[in-house]
Amino acid sequence: MNQAAGSRSFPGWWRLRRNRVARVAGGCLALFYVLAAAAPFLAPYDEATMDRERFYHPPQRLHFIDGAGRFHAMPRVYATRLADASEWRYEEDPAGAVPIALFVHGDRYPLLPGLWCDRHFFGVPRGSVHLLGTDAFGRDELSRLLYGARVSLTVGLVGIVVSFTLGLVFGGIAGYAGGWVDAVIMRLCELLLAIPGLYLVIALRSAFPVSLPAARAYLAIVAILALLGWAALARVVRGMVLSIRREPFVEAAEALGAGPVRILVRHILPNTLSFVLVAATVAVPGYILGEVFLSFLGVGVQEPAASWGNMLGQARSLRVLTSFPWLLAVPAVAIFVTVMAFNLLGDGLRDALDPRGAGEGEAR
Amino acid sequence: MRAYLIRRLLQTFPILLGVSALTFLLLQLAPGDVLSTLAQNPTIAAETLESLRHRFGLDQPWYVQYLLYLRNIALHLDFGESFTRHQPVFEVLRQSLGNTLILAGAAAVVTWGLAIPLGVLAAARRGSALDRALTAFASIGLAIPEILSGLLLLFLAARTGWFPVGGMHGADWDRLGAWGRAVDLVRHLALPALVVGFVPLAARMRQMRSQMVDTLRRDYITAARARGASESRVLFRHALRNALNPMITLFGYTLGALVSGSFVAEIVFSWPGLGRVTFEALESEDRYLVMGAVLMTTLVLMAGNLIADLLLCVADPRLRDA
Amino acid sequence: MLAITLLGCGRPGSSPAHRLSVALPPDTLTFDGPELGRYGGRFVIAETGGPRTFNAIMSNDQPSNDVNQRLFIGLTEFDLNSQQTVPSLARSWDHTPDGRTWTFHLRRGARFSDGHSLTAEDVLFSFAVVYDDSLHPSVQDLLKVNGRKFELSAPDSHTVVFRLAGSMALFPTLVGAVRIMPRHLLEPEWKRGAFASAFGVGTPPERIVSSGAWRLSRYVAGERTVLSPNPYWFGVDRSGRRLPYLDELVFESVPDQNTAALRFEAGEVDAVDSVRPEDYGLYERRSKAGHFTLYDVGPSLISNFLWFNLNRREAAGKEGAPVVDGPHYRWFADPRFRQAVSKAIDRDAIIRGPFFGFAFKNWSTMTKGSHAWYTPAVAGPDYDPEGSKRLLAEMGLRDRDGDGTLEDADGRPVGFSLKTNSDNETRIAIDNLIKDDLARVGIQVTSLGVDLKTLITNVRSDFDYQAVSLGLGSAVPSDPAMAANFYRSSGASHYWHVRQKRPATDAERQIDSLFEIQADTLDDAVRHDAWRRMQDLVNQECFVIWLPSQIVKLPVRDGFGNLHPVALPHRILWNIDRVFVRARGR
Repeated sequence: MNQAAGSRSFPGWWRLRRNRVARVAGGCLALFYVLAAAAPFLAPYDEATMDRERFYHPPQRLHFIDGAGRFHAMPRVYATRLADASEWRYEEDPAGAVPIALFVHGDRYPLLPGLWCDRHFFGVPRGSVHLLGTDAFGRDELSRLLYGARVSLTVGLVGIVVSFTLGLVFGGIAGYAGGWVDAVIMRLCELLLAIPGLYLVIALRSAFPVSLPAARAYLAIVAILALLGWAALARVVRGMVLSIRREPFVEAAEALGAGPVRILVRHILPNTLSFVLVAATVAVPGYILGEVFLSFLGVGVQEPAASWGNMLGQARSLRVLTSFPWLLAVPAVAIFVTVMAFNLLGDGLRDALDPRGAGEGEAR
Repeated sequence: MRAYLIRRLLQTFPILLGVSALTFLLLQLAPGDVLSTLAQNPTIAAETLESLRHRFGLDQPWYVQYLLYLRNIALHLDFGESFTRHQPVFEVLRQSLGNTLILAGAAAVVTWGLAIPLGVLAAARRGSALDRALTAFASIGLAIPEILSGLLLLFLAARTGWFPVGGMHGADWDRLGAWGRAVDLVRHLALPALVVGFVPLAARMRQMRSQMVDTLRRDYITAARARGASESRVLFRHALRNALNPMITLFGYTLGALVSGSFVAEIVFSWPGLGRVTFEALESEDRYLVMGAVLMTTLVLMAGNLIADLLLCVADPRLRDA
Repeated sequence: MLAITLLGCGRPGSSPAHRLSVALPPDTLTFDGPELGRYGGRFVIAETGGPRTFNAIMSNDQPSNDVNQRLFIGLTEFDLNSQQTVPSLARSWDHTPDGRTWTFHLRRGARFSDGHSLTAEDVLFSFAVVYDDSLHPSVQDLLKVNGRKFELSAPDSHTVVFRLAGSMALFPTLVGAVRIMPRHLLEPEWKRGAFASAFGVGTPPERIVSSGAWRLSRYVAGERTVLSPNPYWFGVDRSGRRLPYLDELVFESVPDQNTAALRFEAGEVDAVDSVRPEDYGLYERRSKAGHFTLYDVGPSLISNFLWFNLNRREAAGKEGAPVVDGPHYRWFADPRFRQAVSKAIDRDAIIRGPFFGFAFKNWSTMTKGSHAWYTPAVAGPDYDPEGSKRLLAEMGLRDRDGDGTLEDADGRPVGFSLKTNSDNETRIAIDNLIKDDLARVGIQVTSLGVDLKTLITNVRSDFDYQAVSLGLGSAVPSDPAMAANFYRSSGASHYWHVRQKRPATDAERQIDSLFEIQADTLDDAVRHDAWRRMQDLVNQECFVIWLPSQIVKLPVRDGFGNLHPVALPHRILWNIDRVFVRARGR
């Protein structure tokens, strides 16, 4: 790495590693992303598979000890049957215990494009297993959670990658070039900042061709949203660039005859890195919560595809809260933990990279 | 100062123009139009739809529609008529904007009413368990989606009857006296304001805390302490007053955000505000109503920023001549 | 109950005393409650969305209609309970034997809510507005014979004569669809070209003058609409006392069903107008504690079905190539394929599943809920997976590579995408079951959820779909003649192949001519015969593949007399002018 950049950006890393909370948060998030990536394999069912016999089935208990009091390393679930159809009460039948098996055959999913696979990490050879219960149409809540994570977790990443790339590029150019370039970019930023974002997404959602699969269409919308969301960052980056370009090491590089692109990319932008990293981490939850809200309004990820937002949206009735609380709890906990982890990681990064707390100045 | 004000006001025009053009284009790209839902009804003939389309001017190319729209605003200050409500857009928005401002104001009271004392408390007990607990409390609040907290509060209201389940006015509003109306409004406001106000709480509290920590490090505080002033006197008479100054500017900047911030709560709590009107208009593709709402929101945002800048000018004499 | 005590101090006109102080007209209309009620109280109903206009002629969305139907009357009324046409403003009517001239005798002494008398002039005015092509209210489409408008005249102030270009079975019913609005206030507006925006939600309530049992008392945008009795109305109960009994009818506008359920739970509203089948059990259980009753109003009149895209592109004014690709069109256009799909669907599983048992098999646009037009003998191809496989094999579709999916002669896997509107979770779940069922006979289905507006655009104009599943609500009156756009091959809602220049298949040609008979003849037996043959043709050809329809239950708070929810909308308010609050010690 460039020396001038290293002098300001990276002493924070060891501080971050000492911050236990941030480390745990980061670890959690890494785990979530791995789970999401492996969702089709880890989930016992497909996100749309319906279990016709088990609507509103509560989470099943795992039994390590069977009826005869013997311990099994591989837990088993008991078969259930509907005891009361009007209240969706199920009864366990200890005689019908089914051991959970690993690497079972199940719904087909594409391992790679064109290469289909039907092995699942776990499952049951007969009957069914719903460790987090099922929803109103007998779809496995755990499977939907895992599939939904793919949408909900990538939404934030796609969003920040697009908006931060643009923000850095335009902010950097505006700050470094100055003059009319600066003026044009800044007016554009003001225009974008003045647009009420949520309205725009809703309008965009309906403007988007729906022949795309639901999740991918939604990611495309997030990308568009991010296209409009770089303005705030560009303004801050511009300000930072303005002050950095007067620093001696930039003037030295200019004196040595380095071109403007090289100076910007090698000397100036790396110095904004610590700020950008913190801002990016803190921005991810915004996208995740945005998806939740849009799906709640019915303009986010469309059924039958799963996302945490539409799982929460589906569970919004008093009926669910009183009779089937797991349907509300599962997505709510997932969202809460993820957003919390991003915030804690962001706080940790802020403390580590910028111990004076300069990052606290932004309005939101 | 006056030149600055005029320049700022002039700057709003190109922005409004850009925002309106973008919104119009997006609405044009969306599939279907305001008549789509009507078209689903099999008793309605194609000719009816055609004649309605003609009456609404939807049979013209979009740029013609847009230019006509701009012309009507420029010449008559006419923002068009809502297709679905047969009412001037301005009329529809005036009332709902008022309702949104009431909610936003109440939410601001919640945010700042909690952020300032809690921030001061955290700063005074810096590093203590209380400080950490307050930070945790605020960040937990940040991680719960407004929809979820809103829904849970609604369920609570439905079950206990302590608060009305959404809406803005009770059924007997018209028959209530001034005092009764105030109580009714507060009861309806309480839950949505709590939800809206809680979101920015964490950030505001943290800002208040760091301002306070900074101020407490200043020489005059040390001097006051040396003079033997009581801790509470130091905190409230000396430090708080100085720490609040920058927060006032910040308050201005968040004014604009308040209006868009209440969008979620308006939907969840059926608050008859700008957000709900806009959402319904977007759903039914009531074009001029959407346009009007977006322009109105944009204006409020920009007005908020302008007020903040002016506050900054007033607070900081060095900027007054700029 | 607090409401009743508070109501004494309302504005003039809302108190029973004032209502009764206006003398009854000579010509009253007696409604049989059946119970005799008492005055006072209010009824609060939650309504998704709010009214957008109080202009009954121009309104065409459900929330507006629900309010405007209470505010304004027509010459006749379609009684939702008996599903028959009954007198309203017209006390009687007669027609010439050829069915081309109809004479309506108006009630004498009828008045608007401002006391102004209501005469034949107002009827002529209302029809003139309906027939105004620059306004083109949607009701106009129903009021034409062979594309020609009716000719109206008023020999005296209590008689209106209609001349029709041909006979029309539904004429007396459809005439009632035109709501009578006050000429003395609206004619100037109409002349100014401002009729469409007259009587809008922004108009002060006291300036909205109504002809029905109710008048507008208050409107709070986005929150509620309050109606109070029209003190001049001609409706009376059996003992000759003026109706309505209630002092107030309140529409609470809510954003969605969930909020409506919450308000009901909190006791803020007395009724909600729709409940999901999965919640019936819960309501049943809570009805005692919550002091309400879950009324079973029986079979819904909404039919559910799916169909395949047989549309053709328009090329130079002629019909061009099919919209869907060649192989798909070959499958879809083959009645055997459509029958095979119908036979592959396990409707009992759909009823047990997404409908939670509260549904019934249905094979027509007129479900069991229609008193006059439900035809028990009509049925389509039901679940028979073996029969389905046989039909597919007959078409030459078989599993050539042993992967469980059928292929055609070119080795192309047989399948299609099934679109529906994603906001309807029940329908999404049904589609998922269908996908399972069809996989068992070897057809691969991809189910796709899109928003309703997009779906309508797909179905009506860009035809960007292979198969769609949708629901179709019966119009009011519930009569097959109302479904012209669905059955006629030239109709815009003839979903599988809309706006045909000439009937594409022989069956559709026959359906077209049967529809004419059914819609024009006045002889009921002839109409029923044509109707049965039409349904049989649709089912033989499987133009649409029918899915089960729901059984409707609605919760309404206890303590109201004469309340009698029905299956047709508005399910609860249809007789609200006769509903009363029972005495406390019931």
